[in-house]
Amino acid sequence: MNIQAYIESGILEEYVLGTVSEQEMQEVECMSRIYPEIKEELRKLEQAMEKYALEHQVPPPAHLKEKIFAQMSFGPLPVQGVPAEEAEDATVVPIGQSATNARPLWSRMAVAASVLLALMLGWAMYQMSEYRQQNEVLVSEMAELRTDAEYQKTLASLYRNPNYRTVRMAGVEKSPESSVVAFWNQSTNEVLLDVQRLPVPPTGRQYQLWSIVNGTPVDMGVLEAEFAGKILKMKATQPGAAAFAITLEKAGGSPNPTLEEMYVMGNV
Amino acid sequence: MATQKPKYTEDELVASLKRNDQAAFEYLYDHYSGSLYNVISKIVRDEERAQDVMQEAFLKIWRSISSYNPDKGRLFTWMLNIARNTGIDAVRAEGRKPGFDDIQDNLERAEQNASYQPSPSTMDLKSLVEKLKPERKILVDMVYFQGYTQEEVSERLSIPLGTVKSRIRTALKDLKNYFSV
Repeated sequence: MNIQAYIESGILEEYVLGTVSEQEMQEVECMSRIYPEIKEELRKLEQAMEKYALEHQVPPPAHLKEKIFAQMSFGPLPVQGVPAEEAEDATVVPIGQSATNARPLWSRMAVAASVLLALMLGWAMYQMSEYRQQNEVLVSEMAELRTDAEYQKTLASLYRNPNYRTVRMAGVEKSPESSVVAFWNQSTNEVLLDVQRLPVPPTGRQYQLWSIVNGTPVDMGVLEAEFAGKILKMKATQPGAAAFAITLEKAGGSPNPTLEEMYVMGNV
Repeated sequence: MATQKPKYTEDELVASLKRNDQAAFEYLYDHYSGSLYNVISKIVRDEERAQDVMQEAFLKIWRSISSYNPDKGRLFTWMLNIARNTGIDAVRAEGRKPGFDDIQDNLERAEQNASYQPSPSTMDLKSLVEKLKPERKILVDMVYFQGYTQEEVSERLSIPLGTVKSRIRTALKDLKNYFSV
């Protein structure tokens, strides 16, 4: 905080002149409480303006004082309270100390009880919504676990099933980290895929599975966009496939594989 | 302040006022009503109405003295704000604009103040008026005494807002230096 810059900004003058907004007023009061230099400057300005005003007096008519003081009552105040608003416009209302200060005990108890009740209700509502939220989290976690368990179970059964031939496709030069496993049902020629790792395809592109039969790539269908953590069912292959491969193709797949875009490949 | 026998320091005065002490309020009235009434009559510009507003403002001061916080500013600043706002509210309630003296009027008033204002420190006042250039004094008076915003002053006098602001600031600086001697 540059105090000098604040003092120079002119806001203190505006404060003393009464032209600042409510917000600026609070700001100035806050600043002057924090920084003694600002307070000092403000006091000087206030004092100067006060003296200036004292040199510009127009005395009110003499009878006015009496008239005003006739409406005031003095002496100790029972309660240092906020003045009653409604009395402000009245011209001749002797301000006796209002009876509203002396509320009976039961009414104060009732107020206290209802405040307590409201607090408890609020707390209960809060707890309820907390629980509901926790519940929702649990449900979704459960669903996730169940899906995962299902996936692991299917995977295990595929590995154990002697009908399925496991073909491990390893990453080629373009993407050595990639790894996909194909499960080829020897009796039905059904092929399932388990993607262990493949880069996320760019938008507008899709991975496509090929089987190499008699030296020719045969389309086995495209991989759905969400391929991780589940078993993908692909087209059935022709008998006698010698290898499987995955390439990155335009969305929907291509009639022929783009060999430069091959990611994984595995021999049967 | 220096012109009157200091019966109270500001702190003592505030403490007595907060105790709802009659003598303190009488002192307050005797001491400050002239300045407050000056502001009110400039805004209201109707003698009878000004008396009503003066009464209303002073009763407000009496009733809400408990909410005055000396940490936030001087008592007079607080009172003047009440007087000014009460005046402006009263004028607005009548659907009028707050009083506005034209430049000539203001200038004449400045002259009058210089020569006729019954102030014990006439010498000081003369040098003060010399210190505050008339074109600055008008602006200060319009804002401080009549409750105009600087924007309104700029509009009414066709002076750019930046000029209004800088003139007022310079004037206040002059006053500060003058009075802090």
